[in-house]
Amino acid sequence: MNAIPCLTIQDVANLDGVLGDFLKKAEAELTVVIDRGGNVISQFGDMTVMDVTIIAALAAGSFAATKELARRIGEIEFNALYHQGNGNHIFMNSVDDDTIMITVFGRQTTVGLVRFYSASAAQSVGALLKSLQTNGHGFSFDASDITAAPIFADR
Amino acid sequence: MSIINYASREIQFKIVYYGPALCGKTTNLGYIHKRINPENRGDLVSLATASDRTLFFDFLPLNAVVIKGFVTKFQLYTVPGQVIYNATRQLVLRSVDGVIFVADSQWEKMEENVESFKNLEDNLAKQNISIDEIPSVLQYNKRDLENIAPVNYLEYVLNNRKKRVQSFEVVSSTGQNVFASLNAVSQILLHKFSKQSDVAKTAPAPVAIPFEPRVARV
Repeated sequence: MNAIPCLTIQDVANLDGVLGDFLKKAEAELTVVIDRGGNVISQFGDMTVMDVTIIAALAAGSFAATKELARRIGEIEFNALYHQGNGNHIFMNSVDDDTIMITVFGRQTTVGLVRFYSASAAQSVGALLKSLQTNGHGFSFDASDITAAPIFADR
Repeated sequence: MSIINYASREIQFKIVYYGPALCGKTTNLGYIHKRINPENRGDLVSLATASDRTLFFDFLPLNAVVIKGFVTKFQLYTVPGQVIYNATRQLVLRSVDGVIFVADSQWEKMEENVESFKNLEDNLAKQNISIDEIPSVLQYNKRDLENIAPVNYLEYVLNNRKKRVQSFEVVSSTGQNVFASLNAVSQILLHKFSKQSDVAKTAPAPVAIPFEPRVARV
């Protein structure tokens, strides 16, 4: 297992800055940065209406599932996916080999606007994540900090 | 791949239930979803066919406070057991932190168990992860049935490596040892994680630590 990536408060503030700016320009509701395993790295926007963890897991699956489809037409992968609903839509684009950005938006904007601004946002997010420290930032916990009681209880 | 978020004070881990078709992986998640405190879980998402066979994966997010000051999020996934869905299993295994291998104890399922275990080893190897390195436990499921192999036989077949792992006799339909095995793999995972954080604290550059799983039987 590789070293554990750590997001410091400053890292999160930097990511929030990029994502907040993107949401404002694209007039979208929510954006989530995830790794390709479905873990949420960062999120910004209205998170009250949906479970971001589940969105992340499903989006990572959806992105990965189309990879083979892309290969069939001579592409390595599709670097963007769009799911169109009646009122709400999801746009996903690749940030780098490990990361995906998901944007949820409604009627107040268009896929073109979201797509346009997501390209530069993804570039900025990618650059921020590249500089991510993995040295623990003084994060100290040892075995004695872990609860000895069963973590999950059967009611 | 676990992620530490200092702003929200969260740590995320991914645990995958692996095993042959119809061995009880989805039943495990269904039982956990039904029995755990609703405040500590999200929705159970199941991407299944019309006949309830897992097509893509099942997913259940859980929360707990197990490390002081941090909310720990465990994301539980199952893989589709059917042989043809290997590409999907590889996708679900991406960034995995811990594995629960669910074996079907019935005699006639032994070949499928072995095949599935070998498939797990191969798919982990594609991510440069050794089965001996990743936190894992074994479940011998369906212990309530009649035509089942004895535990020592299952141990011989599935847990006969240099580094043996914890194994549990499970009845996933009634919940016997379902939580025990989840708690065991979570503890192993957290202890491995704590070793990594210790290294991160003291060493100038992060390095991987070989994992020594506890050899114990339940």
